Amino acid sequence: MPEGAEPYLPSPYSQWVIVARSQIRHYVRTYRFIGLVTFVGIVSVLWLVLLVASGRGLVQLSFLNSVSEFLTDYAQTLPLWIILAAACFGGDALSVDFHSGTGYYTLVLPVNRSVLLAGRYASALSVTLGVVVFYDLFGILGATYAFGPGSLPWGPLGLSFGLSVLFALAAVSVAFCFSAVFRTPATGVLVTVLVLFVALSTVQGVAEMAGLEPWWSLYYAGGSIANVLDWQFVAQQTIPVGGGQYIQSWAATAQEGASIMAAYVAMFFAFTVVLYQRKESRG
Amino acid sequence: MGSIEVSHLTKWYVPGSPILDDVSFREEGCGAVGYLGPNGAGKTTTLKLLLGLLQPSAGSVRLNDLDPAQDRRRALARVGAIVESPEPYPSETIYDALERVGALRGLDASGIDDEIDRCHRELHLPPLEWPCGWLSKGERQRVVLAAACLGDPAVLLLDEPTNGMDPAERVEVRGFLKRLKRDHLILMSSHLIADVSAICDRLIFLDRGKIRLRASADEVASLVRVDAVDVEFVRPTELAALEGLQPWVRKSVRLGDRRYRFRFDGQEETLSRLLEECGRVGPLLSFTPSVPALEAVYRQVITDAPDREA
Repeated sequence: MPEGAEPYLPSPYSQWVIVARSQIRHYVRTYRFIGLVTFVGIVSVLWLVLLVASGRGLVQLSFLNSVSEFLTDYAQTLPLWIILAAACFGGDALSVDFHSGTGYYTLVLPVNRSVLLAGRYASALSVTLGVVVFYDLFGILGATYAFGPGSLPWGPLGLSFGLSVLFALAAVSVAFCFSAVFRTPATGVLVTVLVLFVALSTVQGVAEMAGLEPWWSLYYAGGSIANVLDWQFVAQQTIPVGGGQYIQSWAATAQEGASIMAAYVAMFFAFTVVLYQRKESRG
Repeated sequence: MGSIEVSHLTKWYVPGSPILDDVSFREEGCGAVGYLGPNGAGKTTTLKLLLGLLQPSAGSVRLNDLDPAQDRRRALARVGAIVESPEPYPSETIYDALERVGALRGLDASGIDDEIDRCHRELHLPPLEWPCGWLSKGERQRVVLAAACLGDPAVLLLDEPTNGMDPAERVEVRGFLKRLKRDHLILMSSHLIADVSAICDRLIFLDRGKIRLRASADEVASLVRVDAVDVEFVRPTELAALEGLQPWVRKSVRLGDRRYRFRFDGQEETLSRLLEECGRVGPLLSFTPSVPALEAVYRQVITDAPDREA
């Protein structure tokens, strides 16, 4: 290069594409990805086996009365898969920079931290959505087999997928935030699962028993992914528990679920950006 | 040509306990600068501050006259670096790991291949299709060094560049860095005195966050007062045969059948008389200062530092 000439650097957008592409390539080769996809695949195949067995009269399945019932039941585990994928691919996305050598391989390059963050965010989201699409395809295959291709409710299915994308965005944002808070990568992964799945679902159950709507819970919002597929969906129910006692039960509508998810995305993504920009590589 | 400037640089995590305390130096042009000091001296912290991975508590840094805190992309555009113990993803191949760096540095596809070929040849990298997870620590370090040199950056900041390498690899990398310093500026921190001594023209000794000595390699050599010499006789020699050396020797240590270490008062005249007397005892195979020059200075500078605790 001539003396004093300004060196050529790709635009931040091009660098973002390079970071995201290489990160996706890394993720899909990890044992975490292979393990998760295998597990989700086994569960999906079990559903198909049940459907085939039911079709041949080997088992009686209560959820096979309608395509809506089948898809609703099938989609109920989607939030769990999304949380697991987001934790696996987002829970250590930033802590790895300051904990392991793989971070220092990239951090010394002429790339802005915001570009690294955006690239990793896009790749974690892509891989999480890959798991969603993989699971959804099995569901559509099963519904087609059991009820015929003409029976599929494409509108609600599209809405459900849209909510899945939003839920994945929210879960990845939370996971990234934890990965910026904790220095140990494994801690970020574990805390994401514990908070999003174990803690929120437990506190949600307790709140409902106390008669409070869990509008603050992302896990509650994730229920809307399945709820929009249910033709007989009821947002609020009063359930008798014996002895003249009743408890309230809430289920998130599409609008409510989307609002909660969007709030999580905005809040946790903002936290992540601030924490990551301020984070120093001490040690 | 590149430049590295550190001006009144101070870094602390706990007020009153600075990791770096008002460190200043400027290096420019070509050559290799050794950045020496014991663990915790602040060497890696300086490199992290130069790379914008840490924010200074006071003072400033500039790379190629640009502040990495203000404009990271431009400041690091002509800088290659190794800090801590970087490693590519274990699942990616050596080619993919280097291609990623080349692409982020803005090299086009053919430029990346040319650069990878050059590094592969000069650093004797393993086959490019091997996953990085297969590599030994030394091989991985050579890949990391190749990544730092990709795109021919004017400045190289190298934190323990021969870390994990076996002696043969270290000799190879020393040769590579010696060729590189002809038209690059290298700031190299290392514990390995032999590496620094073989590669660096200028030296900065750091201890407890302060610069204790900054000098050229020649100046450092002239500071050494050798007060011990290892002598090897051609034939096995008994201690009793060396009684004639007593006026010039403070202490004798037998290192082997034919080898002795003699400690003396450090005067050149004494050394000359001592060696003359040794020659009378029997023919000599070799005589060398017992401690290499740089190591002796390192010990003196670091151990004699005024505020160093005993």
